[in-house]
Amino acid sequence: MSSYIEEFESKVKPKDYYDRLYDELVRLNPRLNAFNALIKPDKNGIPLSVKDNICVKGIEATASSKILKGYIPPFNATVVERVLKTKRFSIIGKTNMDEFGFGSFGINCEKPAKNPLDEERVAGGSSSGAAIATALLKYHVAIAESTGGSISAPAAFCGVVGFTPTYSVISRYGLIDYANSLDKIGFMARSADDIRVMLDITKGKDNRDPTSTDSKIVGLHHKKLVIIDELIDKVDEKIRSQFFEFVEKLKNLGYTVKNINLNEIDLSIPAYYLIAMAEASTNLAKFTGFKYGFKLNDFSKNYNEFFAEAREEFGTEAKRRVILGTFIRSASVKDKYYSKSLIIRKELIDKLSKVLKDAFLISPTMPIMPPKISEANSMSPVQNYATDILTIPPNLCGLPHISFPYSYSNGLPLSAQIVGSQFNDYGVISFVSEWEKNFEYKFKYNIGEI
Amino acid sequence: MKIGLEIHVALPTKSKLFCGCSTEQVDTPNINICPICMGFPGSKPSLNEEAIILAKSIANILNCKIRDKISFVRKVYFYPDLPKSFQITQLQESIGYEGLIIIDKGKRINIRRIQIEEDPAKIIRSEEYSLLDFNRSGIPLVEIVTEPDITSEEELTSFIFTLKARLYYLGIDIDREIKADLNISLGKERVEVKNVTGTKNLLEAARYEIERQTELISRGIEPTKETRSYDEKERKTKASREKESDEEYGYIYEPDLPEYNIKNYSIRETVDPIEKAKELAEKHAYNPKIILEAIAFDRYALDLIERNEEKYNFNSLMQAIMEIKRFKIDNIDDLSLKMLLEEIEGGFQIDKDTISSIIKHEKVKHSDFSQEGIDNGIREFIEKNPDILRRYIKNKKLADYVAGEIIKRYKAKPKEVLKRTIEILNSMTGQK
Repeated sequence: MSSYIEEFESKVKPKDYYDRLYDELVRLNPRLNAFNALIKPDKNGIPLSVKDNICVKGIEATASSKILKGYIPPFNATVVERVLKTKRFSIIGKTNMDEFGFGSFGINCEKPAKNPLDEERVAGGSSSGAAIATALLKYHVAIAESTGGSISAPAAFCGVVGFTPTYSVISRYGLIDYANSLDKIGFMARSADDIRVMLDITKGKDNRDPTSTDSKIVGLHHKKLVIIDELIDKVDEKIRSQFFEFVEKLKNLGYTVKNINLNEIDLSIPAYYLIAMAEASTNLAKFTGFKYGFKLNDFSKNYNEFFAEAREEFGTEAKRRVILGTFIRSASVKDKYYSKSLIIRKELIDKLSKVLKDAFLISPTMPIMPPKISEANSMSPVQNYATDILTIPPNLCGLPHISFPYSYSNGLPLSAQIVGSQFNDYGVISFVSEWEKNFEYKFKYNIGEI
Repeated sequence: MKIGLEIHVALPTKSKLFCGCSTEQVDTPNINICPICMGFPGSKPSLNEEAIILAKSIANILNCKIRDKISFVRKVYFYPDLPKSFQITQLQESIGYEGLIIIDKGKRINIRRIQIEEDPAKIIRSEEYSLLDFNRSGIPLVEIVTEPDITSEEELTSFIFTLKARLYYLGIDIDREIKADLNISLGKERVEVKNVTGTKNLLEAARYEIERQTELISRGIEPTKETRSYDEKERKTKASREKESDEEYGYIYEPDLPEYNIKNYSIRETVDPIEKAKELAEKHAYNPKIILEAIAFDRYALDLIERNEEKYNFNSLMQAIMEIKRFKIDNIDDLSLKMLLEEIEGGFQIDKDTISSIIKHEKVKHSDFSQEGIDNGIREFIEKNPDILRRYIKNKKLADYVAGEIIKRYKAKPKEVLKRTIEILNSMTGQK
């Protein structure tokens, strides 16, 4: 399949196309919890969903947090601005997510997201709604966001293509921060070509985000694939064997595969969570219950009591990260945890950059199949964080990566992740384009088919 | 005695430090605000480069080492005036460090650090409630931290004067919004007087604290380590309710701002008025104090001197500048200045009428000061005040008074009038 965007644009749409689409989503949403808000599109563009931590002017943005209930941003995120400027897209809704992006399963929020392929199972997180919407709609792209795997994980569990660019390629202006040095806005779609269209439209320097860059994005299509043994070891046996079958197929397509050891990769989870929590706890400090979003009306208390009461609105995982993050930043342990993590990140970037000079990294996207919601709920935080082992390294290092389905097992997708070197964003996309020539994705839903 | 200062100076940039909002001081609250300086979720800071140029220039005039690469940190604390609950400031990679100011008598005051940071909002307190004005939120500040090298009230005064005069020539009026923390210890422990506003209050707070600690020590009591605040109305420092502990700000790098390479940012050309005054004084054999007084906070005066010192007699020029200050003339053109100097050099008294004529380029009216005219004037005056003659016999100084009155009335040259007054009085009273 090439581009659904182009196919959509070339078709004559029935008059009531958007109304029917909207009605269908209104009907399905209470079951799957894909959207925090559904919007009746009034334009003639391809349906576009936006993760709820990305600001769309005039539309409530909560990042699935009770503390942001009622926050209506008075501005568009740059990524939204750039997409709307093309006049090719119609926003259909704001998608559900783990609160502030804190989660890998889409269940750390008021209305846990459900996997449309098996509704007892999780959709993956944190961009749960973006992946569900992509799995439901035939013609649609999702603006999502990843900090430690929030695009790859749900894309893998819902069987869609999920792309996370090199850090700094897409402006973060208008993104409600999780961990600024790790947050990346990316996309989900049903084909790599659609991802390419979105990247073309949204990439590049934005004066409103000083960390954004104008570096030239390249498209090096390497034929060498690297597998890091330490990562594969942590993958469920069943997934591993299927993955190796996939690798064999790739070899037949002309790829060479090399296994390497990289001991330091084990440090990526602690380094990631330490940096992410340190930054998150500063970002969450601003929610004190009187300027926007959730507001307290009793001003008789002193300020400490006042904001403490407002912050009761945070969910359990958000509270955990505020407490841990604040501890990590405290003077007595800062060097031990935060500063050390920054060094580890730098080391890993150097190490991986060398590996990726003439190769792609390949691995399954997730080490487990999508768990049942009840199973996910009973996981300890540490077990939970450990499921990010495959998505964290490229996220910690700001490297472009893409997740895509390569096989199916009992109706659930098996997905792989390709990681490229810094700014080789088009490279990882073209890898998936090539793969799509030999593989047909299966979609259970095709809402909006014409 | 050891005094160290942390001085916050608002930078006169057109827009705020991290957004495009105006920095203009306005009475209406909350109009120069936007999602960025309000800390709205999704907004991000963009650095105002004008602030970097100014901060770099301040670091330069304070003889600091200037870093090529600077970065910012988040200082996290909860206070209602802080929209993001963290302040974007600098720590290790501040723009300037290890600077030096030489004050009166060659005393060296070391500067530890100069950093750029954002101002919080303004809290307007009343009995029943407090209000917030975010117009101030995000105004660029520079914090100047000195070593505790100041050892007397005189040195403190001299330091403030020197700093103020130098900043003035960078276009920064620190009386506008100076906020300072004063660390002052006469005993072993450090007392910190926090958030003193304005240079006058800063000096008064120091004076009060010196007295207070001196008094304690004289009674054999060691001043304790504490944080105090200055009460403007009572002109006293008071123990703060704040707990004395090392505050925990949980600093991390500001991840929304990259490291900035500022090597190629310009430094604003400026003048050191103290050096300038010395230079001019040496060149023209003039009193340096008077020159400094004229130019310390008056760029216009310095411009006039620099434009004209070769053209005119320096003494006359300095006198002209005093007159210009005295009559608060904003702008004097070349012709008017020339006319003013002619009056000064002609020995004439300068008054309002003189100035108004000069400004309008009208010939200054002096009375008929031909010998005969002045003589008639003097005689007329004496005839109207006949007891002058009787009193003059006893007190010759009365001639000065008479001459003064004549000068006022006739705008004649003082020396000449005095000479003739004495002659006439002598002849009328038969004296020699």
